[in-house]
Amino acid sequence: MSWKTKPSSTLQIPRRAEPYVCASVAERWEREIVAKYHVRKGALMPILHEIQHEHRCIPYQAMVEIARFLGISPAEVLDCATFYEEFSLEPRGRCTIGICQSIACEACDHKPLLDHCRRTLGIEPGETTADGSFTLLAMECLGSCDTAPVALFNETLHEKLDVPTVDRLIAQARQAPAGGHHH
Amino acid sequence: MRLTEPVLTKRIPGCVPGVNDGGTAARTTVSFEQYKATGGYASLAKALDMEPAKVIELVKEAVVRGRGGAGFPAGLKWSFLPQDDGAGHRYLCINCDEAEPGTFKDRLLCDFDPHLILEGIAIACHACKLDTAYFFIRGEYHHQAKVMEKAIQEAYAGGVFGKGGLLRRAGAISVDCFLHRSAGAYICGEETGLLEAIEGKRGWPRVKPPFPAVKGLFGRPTIINNVETLAAVVPIVEKGVAWWKGIGVESSLGGMPSYGTKLMGVSGHVNRPGVFEAPLGVKLSTLVNDYCGGMRKGKRFKGAIAGGVSMGVLGTDQFDAAMDFDIGRACNVLGLGTACPTIFDEDTDMVMVARNIARFFKNESCGQCTPCREGSGWIYKLLCRIEQGQATTADLDLLLELGMSMGLTPGTTICGLADGNNWAIRTIVGKFRGEFEKRVKPKFVPVHVSAH
Repeated sequence: MSWKTKPSSTLQIPRRAEPYVCASVAERWEREIVAKYHVRKGALMPILHEIQHEHRCIPYQAMVEIARFLGISPAEVLDCATFYEEFSLEPRGRCTIGICQSIACEACDHKPLLDHCRRTLGIEPGETTADGSFTLLAMECLGSCDTAPVALFNETLHEKLDVPTVDRLIAQARQAPAGGHHH
Repeated sequence: MRLTEPVLTKRIPGCVPGVNDGGTAARTTVSFEQYKATGGYASLAKALDMEPAKVIELVKEAVVRGRGGAGFPAGLKWSFLPQDDGAGHRYLCINCDEAEPGTFKDRLLCDFDPHLILEGIAIACHACKLDTAYFFIRGEYHHQAKVMEKAIQEAYAGGVFGKGGLLRRAGAISVDCFLHRSAGAYICGEETGLLEAIEGKRGWPRVKPPFPAVKGLFGRPTIINNVETLAAVVPIVEKGVAWWKGIGVESSLGGMPSYGTKLMGVSGHVNRPGVFEAPLGVKLSTLVNDYCGGMRKGKRFKGAIAGGVSMGVLGTDQFDAAMDFDIGRACNVLGLGTACPTIFDEDTDMVMVARNIARFFKNESCGQCTPCREGSGWIYKLLCRIEQGQATTADLDLLLELGMSMGLTPGTTICGLADGNNWAIRTIVGKFRGEFEKRVKPKFVPVHVSAH
């Protein structure tokens, strides 16, 4: 999970004029998040969650701004952001499909679901479609083994899945408005 | 062996077949009002009438063994805390990082009876004089995080948490309870990895000592308990130690007893998988046949994961294994774990099972210790090779050698993640060796015998 190679020496950080952590955001974070942690750095994960949710990735510029906000180094933010699977440095698709591949789901035949997603979307697990609409992930146990096989479509868990249902869910996601990245 | 009344699931229909079937009653999330109306927060009120040390004593006497996997007695853990020095915060971290494949029992409580957990949290905070609780929930539990967040807000509004003392009692400790969402890392279920994650770092387990009770979250005394452990404290305060000890079994091996009820999540090839509440000591075959309506499609039982993949497998001849804390020594698995067995029928390829589990550990090794990071990758590669018929008997030997070289037991890693990997692989290969040998090519080592 933690050995992504980062092109640290050659990386050009894309910048935009509008800050990710503007004054109103900083004020709200201070009140809603930082207040919950007795050491300021504790607020890092909830903040990364919020950025990931909003931008479907953690932009480098946001990391630098978060570091400044929390009074830590950007490297500490990068360290945390690259460790956890849910945070992504590359933008995820508008719909992220996470097929559970752990033991109960494999024993209850998750493979046809994964293969169907591969074929329909034309991508392998870990990849995002060229138009940015779908990311396919093979995930470890989603904690719903009694209703295997299961999958997450963004934040919604779908249980006792079969290929026709997955097909329908993909079709629905295609029709979702471009801005609506979460169900 | 069956419960006469549900304990942890008294507000959740369908968890004790025959007693609390819930054939017509649908499961819904119990609100704060509904919870109070059905006797909720009465245990907390009762606990607040007791001296904190007496509550710890009660939990110690009841021998509440941790429900998160290790089975360590909660009362003993609580008693490791230093006296309150008044010098700063003291923390409770609730481990709801339920990421062990096959395990989905804590989710049931979060989904439907969140206030039972919160009441347990409040009692623990009173007993141990802890002022801040972090409910640490895995990132993938999106819905459960929302339910818990709402329940926490209700509990604040209802006077459980917040300024003014628990239940707004004069003299009672004031407790804050916050939800902390993880973001997809199995290792954060390890208690010190969990602390690192709350501190905003990568979830790398810490070297112990110092133990969290002395130096935990933000360097302060900290207790880390599983969700179900805290939930179990609520009925114990209500009904007493003798009642609790009347459920479950004594150890048949001279070890610590297994008292009380346990949530058991059964998955895999059974007719009605789900989370059930059963007394500790119930037979696996009873769970499968009576609770789950038998094996799917009438197939025969082949094996089962004892309770989360780290525990290893029960063999075909261990269908009658008693699900209690003795199961490790009695059945040659690592332990009871989370008591959530995954059942395999006769058609299951055990090499596939081993490969699947090895992939899990390869993906979830945090990378801090070299033996686990590299070893888990090699175990996975070897098992893929065996599954595809490209391995030799020497690879099988190498697999078992690797499975003994990493982990806490040989002393080569900081945490027990690799031990789980070892136990899974060793027990599957050991109990289903024929299947592995059939898949590998023999490798002959020439032996030269000299003439003189």
